Amino acid sequence: METVTKQDNTKKMKRGTSPWAIARKKFVRNKIAMISLTYLVLIAVLSFLAPYITTADITRVNLSSMGLSPSAEHWLGTDKGGRDVFTRLLYGGRVSLTIGISCVLIVTIIGTFIGSVAGYFGGKVDSVLMRFTDFILNFPFLIFVIVLNSILFRHVDGVIVLIIVISVLSWGGIARLVRSKVLAEKENEYVLAAISIGTKPSKVIMKHLLPNILSTIIVQMTISFASMIVAETGLSYLGFGVPQGTPSWGNMLSGAREIDVLQGMPWVWAPPGIILVLTILSINFIGEGVKDALNPKSYR
Amino acid sequence: MIKYILRRLLGMIPMLLLISIVVFSLALAMPGDPFGGEIDPTNTDPEYIERMREEAGLNDPIPEQYVRWITNFVQGDFGKSVKYRYDVKDLILDRLPNTVFLGIMSLIITYIVAFSMGMYAGRKPYTKMDHLIGGFNYFGLAVPSYIAGIVAIYFFSFKLGWIPYTGSVGVGLEPGTLEYWISRFHHVLVPAIILGLMSTASYTQFLRNDIIENSRKDFVRTARAKGTSESKIYNSHILRNSIIPLVTFLGFDLVNLISGAVITEAIFNYPGLGTLLLDSVQSRDYAVVMTIVMFSSLLVLVGNLLADILYGIVDPRIRLE
Repeated sequence: METVTKQDNTKKMKRGTSPWAIARKKFVRNKIAMISLTYLVLIAVLSFLAPYITTADITRVNLSSMGLSPSAEHWLGTDKGGRDVFTRLLYGGRVSLTIGISCVLIVTIIGTFIGSVAGYFGGKVDSVLMRFTDFILNFPFLIFVIVLNSILFRHVDGVIVLIIVISVLSWGGIARLVRSKVLAEKENEYVLAAISIGTKPSKVIMKHLLPNILSTIIVQMTISFASMIVAETGLSYLGFGVPQGTPSWGNMLSGAREIDVLQGMPWVWAPPGIILVLTILSINFIGEGVKDALNPKSYR
Repeated sequence: MIKYILRRLLGMIPMLLLISIVVFSLALAMPGDPFGGEIDPTNTDPEYIERMREEAGLNDPIPEQYVRWITNFVQGDFGKSVKYRYDVKDLILDRLPNTVFLGIMSLIITYIVAFSMGMYAGRKPYTKMDHLIGGFNYFGLAVPSYIAGIVAIYFFSFKLGWIPYTGSVGVGLEPGTLEYWISRFHHVLVPAIILGLMSTASYTQFLRNDIIENSRKDFVRTARAKGTSESKIYNSHILRNSIIPLVTFLGFDLVNLISGAVITEAIFNYPGLGTLLLDSVQSRDYAVVMTIVMFSSLLVLVGNLLADILYGIVDPRIRLE
């Protein structure tokens, strides 16, 4: 008798794997997602360590080395201003990734706040907030960003303006998503229980509702990370994004707007183009991997 | 249905008013004379500027200015372009056909390509061709249009010399002749493909998955049991069901086309509304900017409404309340 209970106890001691551990295991087993993650981390590390890796001056125009094709000295050649393309690529990654990450964080915070408040309180609060969200979603994004950016430009630092403008106009989607998830989640008994013992609304949202919809938010964050980077580079390509002096992938690509660069100097625009496409692809793959890993119904 | 549409149209009015207030405030925030385009920016004589400002009503209280602007706007008077020295209305009417042409061509190409690829992949899933199409879709969704555009120009214009890289029509061609139209198609083809790249990829993927899902349903088994030919099952029984959700995308397409056109036109130097907008922002031609922003907002609203209405038409189970 004694021994049996003891065995049972030891069995109980071994804890089951948590949902997060299961998700992590599933993600690690997903080869494409892992390769993408490795690539993205590599790019990020290289970009953020740019000042230690390269020594070239990124801003100075060097007349003696204008438009050189790739060589041992300049791995990816130089652009029309004689600036080393490889160096600019690394620094550009820093700017583009920073803008992408900052926008995603701001958008997620605003969207989650508005969405959860609207979903939790319902009624008038909900309809006012959702009207507002619709209003934001009804702006033609690109056109408004261009106009806003041209107003704020030169008043504040260009990169910060861009982050603010992109974020302010793109939290609508995530707010709607969070709202619909909160609406479904708050019907559960545990929420009713929490409310009936007098938990404050802010605590119900933070402690009970948000952790349960976190997986949706994380997946949405990954997807919007890619679209934020596309937005930044697209705007910079058009000349309405990051100020011309600051290198970013979009600014480097905008070199291709000049016909002679596009035609004769592919080494100026091809590297940022390739890196950018690979980055977006890998973010998409990671997003799918995360979605799959967090989905309890999928078995891999 | 008509009641629903009317109600939605009425609901658009407050939204448009709000947008117009935002646009108006944006215009006020911009330096210079945003409304009339009457003041000659090269004349710096303060007396002249003051007189013109008084005449243009820029010294009036702001709400009064707003009411005047919106009244004129509703009546079709959008002000004057500073740069081009004529009415914004004529300027936009001048460029509009190019953008509409680009948009329609892009839609046609998107639908043809997406349907043929999606139907093929859906009918023969997990084959080599299906994987190839899937790979194309991944790329289509990941490659931003400007990169696709740059690459297309580099290879097809400069390396192969197949397509022109700028403009909407060849120089010196008489409008209305056959050569004129061939040249226009020639100019618009690649931009239209690039503009539709993303929606092509998502449509194809959507159609494929929907066809695969539908092909497992009971009505398909029944049709097979009765001896209906495979092609008829796929082309009429399944496709009819799979098209339903696709139709509603048309409304969202309108929205995407507006933003997409700005970038695509810029890449190919295509003289449409997108390039007009970019030029006007750069040269501070505010009357043009405001008009284009207002109209694109209107189009987004119409696009969303269209999506909802189409949804009700193709799927009678959905009641529009």
